[in-house]
Amino acid sequence: MRSITAALVIAFAGGSVVAFAAERSIRQKGKVFSESAVTIRKGDAVVFVNDDSVTHNVMSTDPGNEFNIGSQAPGVSTPVTFDKSGEFTIMCAIHPRMKLTVKVNN
Amino acid sequence: MRTAVTRIACFAAAASALTALAIVFVTTRGNAATVGKSSVVEVKTAPVASVQDLKALYRRPDSIPFPKDNPYTLEKVTLGKKLYFDTRLSAANILSCASCHNPAYGWGDGLPKGVGHNMKELGRRSPTIVNAAFGQVFMWDGRAASLEEQALGPIAAEVEMNLPIAQLIAKLGRIPEYPPLFQAAFPKEGLTPASVARAIATYERTVVSRRAPFDAWVEGDETAIPADAKRGFALFNSKAACTNCHSGWNFTDDSFHDIGLADGDIGRGKFLPNVIKMAHAFKTPGLREITRRGPYMHDGSVPTLGAVMDHYSNGGIDRPSRSDQVKALRLSIQERDDLVAFMQTLTSDLEPTTVPILPR
Repeated sequence: MRSITAALVIAFAGGSVVAFAAERSIRQKGKVFSESAVTIRKGDAVVFVNDDSVTHNVMSTDPGNEFNIGSQAPGVSTPVTFDKSGEFTIMCAIHPRMKLTVKVNN
Repeated sequence: MRTAVTRIACFAAAASALTALAIVFVTTRGNAATVGKSSVVEVKTAPVASVQDLKALYRRPDSIPFPKDNPYTLEKVTLGKKLYFDTRLSAANILSCASCHNPAYGWGDGLPKGVGHNMKELGRRSPTIVNAAFGQVFMWDGRAASLEEQALGPIAAEVEMNLPIAQLIAKLGRIPEYPPLFQAAFPKEGLTPASVARAIATYERTVVSRRAPFDAWVEGDETAIPADAKRGFALFNSKAACTNCHSGWNFTDDSFHDIGLADGDIGRGKFLPNVIKMAHAFKTPGLREITRRGPYMHDGSVPTLGAVMDHYSNGGIDRPSRSDQVKALRLSIQERDDLVAFMQTLTSDLEPTTVPILPR
């Protein structure tokens, strides 16, 4: 079940443009990402929710897209905003079986 | 009520963790991805599982998985076994794969640390290859992504078998009975570095632990394991929480954890230096055939399973990299012994492994 939450942002440019940034929630129960691949738009966020019973560490080492949310305890939610288009591999540093592909469209 | 209390405890733990997370919070300017501010969310706690439910998590698989790009064939396994046991795969002609991964020692070597070229001690204990077919990453630090990738590493490593791969291929090519075996197993490519790796990996995938008393109990024979082992199994899945890492039928999550040992080896941290939890982290070993595989841990520093339980009872060194799943368990002597009794039920009645006749 995918949950897409319209969040934020209203930006005015000359009073005519309204942009929305969306959030996509990815859960981590049972040491697996709730989806194996997601497609989002540039500027959208993926919210990583640790609803598992163990600590996770979501990160990417793809050049130009490196990020590391650090140790994420059960019961913590952390958004990651993707500002460049492309296809990126996300993993849990602790549990490398956990892999997620994030495709960011323009 | 219990669920509510657990939820409150979970909230408190998460809030505490957020404080720590704020310290490592990183905004990567100019990068494609930006980490935002974390928040606490409510997590539903799963109800306590019944013994029957738990047993289902440990059922043996029906078959061995072989990768699509290196499927099983009898010719490959036959060749791979010969290569595995052939000491000519080392520069000095005295070390084979089986020297460190010896079936007589649960496919390890029974030593605290491996021994390589010129009889020099290596940095880590030789891991078993039992159930490697089910692994996701290989070596203690996970630096090999497949068994095929792993197979050639120790052959070429100067400190291990010290035989550069080009020399290995030339050497095998000069042994008259080898090229026809490669031709039979790999008709399109014959003797190449890739075919050596694929043959050895295919043989290694056939090394699977046999049925143990634990398997019979999981499948319904209540007399298959003693009462202390049943208590140990319950502890394994509750207070001791071993299953947080030693999960599934092979008792490993194929993941990386610092369990608080004293040696200076940073393990997985070499490859992920910016991830705090990867310093001193090593891959979780499976527990099948564990009584045949001592001494224990990546550094071979713990001689017995009882001493392993003592380590987890004390919790090891408390440092930032230590896994959040490793805490001082404060086990009673009875609990310690019950956990060991449980692990003893994971040892099967292995048949002796026959040594192959080698090509000349």
